Amino acid sequence: MKLGLVIDMDTCVGCHACVVSCKQWNTSGTLGALTDYEPYGKEPNGVAFNRVRSYEVDEYPNNKTVNMPMSCMHCETAECVTVCPTGASFKRAEDGIVLVDQDKCMGCNLCSWACPYGARELDQASGTMKKCTLCVDRIYDMELTEAERQPACVLTCPTRARHFGDFDDPDSNVSVLVRERNGLQSMPELGYNPVNHYLPPRPKPNAPTHNGGQLEPLTDRFKKWLNKVVVR
Amino acid sequence: MSRIKTPSGGSVDDSSMAGVAKTMPAFEDHSRQTKHYTTCYMCACRCGIEVTVEDNKIRFIGGNPNHPVNQGVLCAKGNAGIMKQNSPAKLRKPLMRKAGTERGAGEFEEVEWDDALALLTERLRHIRATDPKKLAFFTGRDQMQALTGLWAQQFGTINWAAHGGFCSVNMAAAGLYSIGQSFWEFGDPDWERTKYFMLWGVAEDHASNPIKLGIEKIKKRGAKFVAVNPVRTGYQAVADEWVPIKPGTDAMLALSMCHVLLSRDLIDWGFLGRYTNAPFLVINHPGHSDDGLIARDEQGNPLVWDQGQSASTNGMTPGAEASMFGEYTLPDGRQTKTVMTLIAEQYLDERYAPEKAAEVCGLDADTIERLALEMAHVAFKETIEIECEWTDWAGRKHDRFIGRPVSMHAMRGISAHSNGFQTCRALHLLQVFLGTIDVPGGHRAKAPFPRHIPPPVKPAKEMSPNTPLKSPPLGFPTSPEDLVVDDQGRPLRIDKAYSWEAPIANHGLMHMVITNAVNHDPYPIDTLILFMANMAWNSTMNTSQVRDMLREKDESGEYKLPFLVVVDAFHSETVNFADLVLPDTTYLERYDTISMLDRPISDPDSACDAIRSPVLKPDRDVRAWQEVMVDLAGRLGFPAFVDDDGKPKYSGYTDFIARWEKAPGIGFLAGWRGKDGEKPMRGEPNEKQWDKYIENQGFFQHHLPEHMRFYRHVNRDYLAWAKEVGFNATDDPIIMELYSETLQKFRLAGQGFYDGPLPPDDVDKARLVQYFDPLPHYYLPLEEQRVDPKEYPFHAINQRPMHMYHSWDSQNNWLRQITTQNFLFMNRAKGESLGIADESWVWVESHNGRIRGQVKLMEGCQSDTVWTWNAIGKQSGAWGLDKDAPEARKGFLMNHLISELLPKMDGADHERRLTNSDPITGQAAWYDLKVKITPASADEAGTSWPQFETMQPLPGAKPSPDQLRYSTHEPVRLKRSMMDILKRRS
Amino acid sequence: MNPALSVILFTVSSGAGFGLILMAVALSLMGWVPGMGPGQTLVAILIGSVLASIGLLSSTAHLANPKNAWRAFFRFRSSWLSREGVFAVLFYPVVLVYLISLWVARDTGSLAWWGVLFGILTALLSLATVFCTGMIYASLRTIPQWNSALVPANYLLLAISSGTVILTLIADMQGVELRVLSGLALVLLVLSGLAKLLYYIWIGKPQGPTLNTAMGITRAKIKILESGQSSRSFLNKEFSNQVPAQTLKKMRWVVYLAGFVIPAVLMLVVFQTSMMLLSVLAVLLLLAGLSIERWLFFVEARHVVNVFYGQ
Repeated sequence: MKLGLVIDMDTCVGCHACVVSCKQWNTSGTLGALTDYEPYGKEPNGVAFNRVRSYEVDEYPNNKTVNMPMSCMHCETAECVTVCPTGASFKRAEDGIVLVDQDKCMGCNLCSWACPYGARELDQASGTMKKCTLCVDRIYDMELTEAERQPACVLTCPTRARHFGDFDDPDSNVSVLVRERNGLQSMPELGYNPVNHYLPPRPKPNAPTHNGGQLEPLTDRFKKWLNKVVVR
Repeated sequence: MSRIKTPSGGSVDDSSMAGVAKTMPAFEDHSRQTKHYTTCYMCACRCGIEVTVEDNKIRFIGGNPNHPVNQGVLCAKGNAGIMKQNSPAKLRKPLMRKAGTERGAGEFEEVEWDDALALLTERLRHIRATDPKKLAFFTGRDQMQALTGLWAQQFGTINWAAHGGFCSVNMAAAGLYSIGQSFWEFGDPDWERTKYFMLWGVAEDHASNPIKLGIEKIKKRGAKFVAVNPVRTGYQAVADEWVPIKPGTDAMLALSMCHVLLSRDLIDWGFLGRYTNAPFLVINHPGHSDDGLIARDEQGNPLVWDQGQSASTNGMTPGAEASMFGEYTLPDGRQTKTVMTLIAEQYLDERYAPEKAAEVCGLDADTIERLALEMAHVAFKETIEIECEWTDWAGRKHDRFIGRPVSMHAMRGISAHSNGFQTCRALHLLQVFLGTIDVPGGHRAKAPFPRHIPPPVKPAKEMSPNTPLKSPPLGFPTSPEDLVVDDQGRPLRIDKAYSWEAPIANHGLMHMVITNAVNHDPYPIDTLILFMANMAWNSTMNTSQVRDMLREKDESGEYKLPFLVVVDAFHSETVNFADLVLPDTTYLERYDTISMLDRPISDPDSACDAIRSPVLKPDRDVRAWQEVMVDLAGRLGFPAFVDDDGKPKYSGYTDFIARWEKAPGIGFLAGWRGKDGEKPMRGEPNEKQWDKYIENQGFFQHHLPEHMRFYRHVNRDYLAWAKEVGFNATDDPIIMELYSETLQKFRLAGQGFYDGPLPPDDVDKARLVQYFDPLPHYYLPLEEQRVDPKEYPFHAINQRPMHMYHSWDSQNNWLRQITTQNFLFMNRAKGESLGIADESWVWVESHNGRIRGQVKLMEGCQSDTVWTWNAIGKQSGAWGLDKDAPEARKGFLMNHLISELLPKMDGADHERRLTNSDPITGQAAWYDLKVKITPASADEAGTSWPQFETMQPLPGAKPSPDQLRYSTHEPVRLKRSMMDILKRRS
Repeated sequence: MNPALSVILFTVSSGAGFGLILMAVALSLMGWVPGMGPGQTLVAILIGSVLASIGLLSSTAHLANPKNAWRAFFRFRSSWLSREGVFAVLFYPVVLVYLISLWVARDTGSLAWWGVLFGILTALLSLATVFCTGMIYASLRTIPQWNSALVPANYLLLAISSGTVILTLIADMQGVELRVLSGLALVLLVLSGLAKLLYYIWIGKPQGPTLNTAMGITRAKIKILESGQSSRSFLNKEFSNQVPAQTLKKMRWVVYLAGFVIPAVLMLVVFQTSMMLLSVLAVLLLLAGLSIERWLFFVEARHVVNVFYGQ
């Protein structure tokens, strides 16, 4: 299996639901508590696996705002795995999920240097690198219902902009979406071959106009309207 | 080989997942977890949530997939519930201001609940027995206005309202006085079928998740989404077309589109003729008391001109052939014109041509025309039909519902202007022209709407000691007789709602309470109770001065506002000003109702209500405010709350909700009524009603049969049912009022011709004449009329981000990692032309004051507009934050710039200071603000201004931690074997 | 990049140390420096080992979870950091044996065969370690400025040129004749200076991914509106810095002067008239200059993740 996400930039409104849902699930998840530094202080920041950034394309008044949520892409050529000296960083053969074994990581940060997408963050309290696990602790939990066996970010997204599935299966939802909507990879020229794909904003829908009747002087129009009757 | 379905309609190969699953450890110990279903409280959306609890801590909060509002999704705020629950700013115990200390100094001592309630009860008992209006009770973002309103009514004071006057009454009132429903809580776009959706003035929420769900559906269908908003963030980001309109000019855009439709005959004549008052005859009798009123027969029925009979006839006669246009003479000789004639004359005038509108709105004339013609195409050439038999009000059978699939939604960007009421009516006019109200694909009502126009409730006027009001404190005036004024025409309410200054002030004027109370205008009060209203900070205009007013003393050294009670769950800026603080529970610790008597969560196809039930026990000495209100009501002997012996009738809040009836069979909760829960919507109280709700995941959903889902204003079966279940007093059809006779009556009073009460002051007369046009119209917002546009060239508005709501979320550890400081956003090209650099510090100045904040330049901002996130700026020390938190030192409030009073007109020094509100509804006009921007000097940069003293920590408050590592169990690890490390190539 | 002090110290110190060792072994085995016998070589190798060890130790200081550091040797197959670790660790037993052989050879004046062998091995391991250090950086496609053969080339050249300058000082302290050494140092300084210049020219041209390739939107310019963060996160602290462009320009001059030009001039003078003070000065300036060079190497490197922050 090649599990991953499709993220729709045409419907993402930048609400951060996925950011907080991920934080919420994973702080009690398999990687251990996600540390928050200065939670009520001057520079609050914490370990987050998923961040949403907003961009503006072109200039006023032709500008468009595009929101881009980013988390680990579970790349096919995951250099974060290549560079890891201890082998703590690895890509699972069964499903392609890239994980960090918390018992083996020595906190050298090199994997985060190798990641173009900013997917990995050091948790100073544990001294280890943490990142999106594709909710490996949810998707295989057979005590949950089928619908619940999805990453938290996918389930929570209010505009249904996130999709989870198997890219190895050409008929899966994610494969179909990538085909039909010209899904793309971020920074493809780097050769990481990210499994997560993004759907670009759709082109504007066709909206024809109805020109209606002739434009005519008010008095002429009133004359026509004088006979207009509606049955109550 | 089975497959797992995913929400987007795809699937994942199940056997592979199942196979791999066998190799996994058990990550979660579900035997130690319990699931609870309740309702989120972070905003007014009220999504259903599923809360997983483990060892008395929250493990996870997710959306409830079965809930009608959110269908399983949840926004950032809802997802951050754990950190709301763990906020260090939670209040812990009732507090009293220490004797001898100053109000606002934050010197409190803890008191026991019994003592606090005894003290409050005595004070209230005295007020109630002598002069009930001396109690003012105003609520903010709460979701229980039916209960607080009932409490005030039982107390006997008219000085009650919630926050609507500060928020969006224009929008609610405009709808209820025009189409019998409105945007937001009383109606929704038909997300399943609409093909064209126009969004006006919506900040990033309201209605939050339902809009988000809806937007995805319509984009998938290829519908066009147009967003009218000066700023391109949030929903606007994903719109197909962004219309960067100048704030306060939306009426012009809407009415100009009406002009285009009229001039090309693109009108749904049938809809107008059948379902609205367009064919009604309007009396033309200038200088007399019936001028501009609807012509009626002796029974009071409105008249139309029947073309077949060439005579006027009762317009509610089925089969009458009503003329849409013309001037007709009545048998008694009076001249009349049809409403439609007046409409055409008004909007076909060149004043509303696209070229003129373009100048006012800052848009292209071509765009305005094109948008109107695009909607016309969808409405008239892409009509849809649902085959279904239904019966109309006259008993005629139809075999289909015809739908014109154009829909709209609007909120505070329309509402928070002093021309918002007429603007919203203009939008409704446009919707009606296209025939889109309560039709498939259009804008559909949500139960208990549609209701008659307006609902037949009048606001209470008379008060007497120890006596409940005869009607609720808030209602729907339809003539000057309904105003809440004395014989001299002076306001009777402390907020002057329903006075000549704000006749249709259906949600009160919360923003005037403190000012009026301290100025003893119209009279002094004794006690002000504030619930969930941060009125000493962001839920007020003119913040600094309001704070000073709270501290103002009279000559004898007593506070002009003698006693201030603040009820809240968290350490807000307003809590700091209280004389008595009553701490509330959090949403996870309480019972609550989301009632159809109040702010419903229905959808167009079903009537819904919901509850909250506690998930956690409070770990501190707090009580749910609803419980306290029921307790106080019992102690004070409110008739509805005590039995004949004067003893409290109810054991607590849940008992009250289950057993109290507004009318026979009608209570706060509509589900599982009847002795055994067998009567939905109406029935005897059911003792086990709460249990039923809890069994059903906290909500009740009553699906309407298909034939009752559309055209409900004239749908016989629906109207009968609506009467039966208590929504409407009668089953009469609901005829939409394009022409508002109510407004005309007030206008007549302003002209001096009305046969009834007249306004005493000239300034009110002039406003009635100028603004109370019975047809929607555009006028320049009031503040703009009084300040020099060259001196104050920018419009300044507020928005709320999607991840924060009012002042509530800066205390949330997870949410403030996203935002701590608010910026003043400005159009990049405009800023650069003024020499204002990105991230520089500037002074922002209005006629009322100045503030200093930091600028961010962006593309997606209309050139003459600046904006910021509201309520992010905080007072130092509030909300459990570090005293130097960015919220305090760099954040700012635009509120300081907004006065609750309008500046005086030139040469009108004797004029009474008028409220900075819509002259029709009293809606706070905070988006009318005009400002100028100048760079700050180098040594002024870095900190916002004004700064306030740091709030003291409350007694018993624990210091906020420097680091947080939240989890509910030890993690179960996934390990990699050493062999795998050594063997794998990559 | 945001350089950690420990990383700068590490690469400068260990680079110099291993370079010193490499040159000392090579020159002593070749016999190109009259007067540099086993005893003198021993001192050089010892100092070099100390320098290398300081560097290696300081590199472990920036580990967040050092208790797992022993695991760092297991991914030799794929990780340049792992390889560097393996070579660095293998270095010690090898250099120990070599040192013993030198100690033994002090009296005899000639090195045993196994001394020669371990000498060569020591040199190779030093070379390998420095090369791996360079490759750690060069292999990262996420940092376009580093993703070039110029980087390991620079690391090696700087290692051996700094090593040679230090060797010159050590030789001076032991009374060895300095013409060959200082001449070699001069040549190496010039070569490595030119290589550094080439690097600076190379990183001057715009390269790497942009917001357009990041988002697949090619039609127009893209700017960041919101980062979604209220303050700096791990990503900003690790990968971005706010050093003004003017400072960077000035620092380059410091690098040229202190790292190359002045030491080269000093070596030229020493070539003519050896004065220990000059060698000391050359070493100190050089190390200072190289520290700035290494700092610049990090600071001027822009990790691709900064693109997502609009930089």
